[in-house]
Amino acid sequence: MQETVASDAAGSRTKFSSRPGGERHALLATGWRVRDWPAAWLLIAPVLILFGIAVVFPLIETIRLSFFDIKGLGRPKYVGLGNYVKLFTDPAFRNTLSTTLIFTLSTTAISVGLGWLLAMLSAFSPRHTLPFRVMIFAAFGISEAVAGYMWIGILRPDSGGLLNAVIGLFQPGFAQPWLGDPRTGLWVLIVAASWGGVGLPLMLCFAAVQAIPKSLFEAAYIDGATHGQVMRNIMMPLSMPGVRVSIFINLLGALRAFDIIYILTGGGPVRSTETVGYFMYRESMTQFKLGYGAAATVILLVAVLFVSIPAIIQRTAGAR
Amino acid sequence: MIGRAPRWPTIIVAVVAFIWIIPIVGIVMTSIRPLAETSRGWWRLDSFTLTFSAWQRVWEAYPLAPAFVTTAILAGLGTLGTMLLTPAAAYAFHFLKFPSRRLLLIIIINAFVLPQQVVIIPLFQLWRDIGLIDNFLAVLIPYIGLSFAWSIFLVKNFLEDFPTELVEASRIDGCGPIQSFVHIVLPNSLSSVFAVGILQFLWTWNALLLPMLYLRTYVPMPVILARINGTYELNWDLQSVAAIITTIVPLTVFLIFQRQFAAGAESRTGNKE
Repeated sequence: MQETVASDAAGSRTKFSSRPGGERHALLATGWRVRDWPAAWLLIAPVLILFGIAVVFPLIETIRLSFFDIKGLGRPKYVGLGNYVKLFTDPAFRNTLSTTLIFTLSTTAISVGLGWLLAMLSAFSPRHTLPFRVMIFAAFGISEAVAGYMWIGILRPDSGGLLNAVIGLFQPGFAQPWLGDPRTGLWVLIVAASWGGVGLPLMLCFAAVQAIPKSLFEAAYIDGATHGQVMRNIMMPLSMPGVRVSIFINLLGALRAFDIIYILTGGGPVRSTETVGYFMYRESMTQFKLGYGAAATVILLVAVLFVSIPAIIQRTAGAR
Repeated sequence: MIGRAPRWPTIIVAVVAFIWIIPIVGIVMTSIRPLAETSRGWWRLDSFTLTFSAWQRVWEAYPLAPAFVTTAILAGLGTLGTMLLTPAAAYAFHFLKFPSRRLLLIIIINAFVLPQQVVIIPLFQLWRDIGLIDNFLAVLIPYIGLSFAWSIFLVKNFLEDFPTELVEASRIDGCGPIQSFVHIVLPNSLSSVFAVGILQFLWTWNALLLPMLYLRTYVPMPVILARINGTYELNWDLQSVAAIITTIVPLTVFLIFQRQFAAGAESRTGNKE
């Protein structure tokens, strides 16, 4: 990834020549495009119209609205940076920022860390672990809304909740309202959100470990390396490409999270599980403070862009 | 991998896997046992009665049947739109020359970073002003419009390896650009178009936020599930059935196409190494 980021458009072209037929393709790279404006516009016009309505317009409009005070259907009033000043003096929003940071970093660390570890363990016997990998990956195929509902059954506040029941084995009568207690709400939300997030890092890191040449492992074992050493010195460093992609995808996913928070906690108790992505929904769609919500969205956007800088550079350089 | 593969890593992975499916087992158990047995915990096995009563009653308790049809229509049209429009645009971006081609491409493929939260306020106002609230178009337009960021990237990436000789040969034989697309490029890039379709289908089927905000009368299943969940009635059995029905179609599709999905999700949200 780093290499591609650094290289210019012409340089990154060469990566295709390693594929069969790519050499030929690269040689012809300059002359194969025909100039045909009408045909081109005809083919991309529907895309441009829909993309304009669904992406460009909302993006510009969100930024514009963030400078206005809008109450319900009333006339928007220009307030300059007023919404942003209000955001950063609003204790609820400042609390939201730290919640977002904890939620995003924790879910990413748990998902990628566990997925990576399981991928390396699975690589010792890929065939025997296949059904188990599918079981873990299945959680990734379940929508956040349904996943949230599943976790409610485990986190029930009475002794009918599985978590309370398991702890109750050691401490009879244990009943913790996991989702209803501001001290535990965020942490169980993080566990529930990480549950579905492990599948993709597992698959991507497993593919990265599988791509390591077999001769490296053979050489290591002939030299008397233990399985632990093989894992630490060969699998870990050489699967980093998969880990990097996983970290990026999970960070982006966690910043956008909405469904699972909505189903599991609704941002509560006492707004202790509100991330920025949820805060903007609450302010704009339930309190109808559209300008204020838009300003929060812009903050979310800044965070997303910050995380995505390397990916954006890479995609832009690769666009030919 | 190596002749003397140790056994302990497999055991660890197996233990984690069985812990991982506990939430899934939980709702299945709750859905096939009487409420009296599961109200003190679905994991209690002191008495076990198999019943499909919840599976029969749920259709009257919640509007699941119309919601299923709504979900299928929205996911179907949203997927079809993306599958029809994406290859044409990807072809134009890859094989044709036109002003500001590269700029448009860069803008579109980088839009994948945008969270859906960005669209909800402006589109809410727009739909309200032009009376599109509660119209399926209110969600279909963002479903399809938001998909191009990753779908065009995925298909154009596929076209990078498409043999240009084929396209050039068709031109020499007298095909115009659109004929080349219809007769040569499209039939040979269907695998990437279907990969896009699978991703888009899963995303549109599971969508909660946009339909929750823009639809009122006919809503898809995740919205129904969210409404049920908010009512605090303790119908664990019925709610579990609703959750299973909501997720069964996308989960099946996902498990069948998991290989394509892992590859596709990578280019949907991120980079290609």
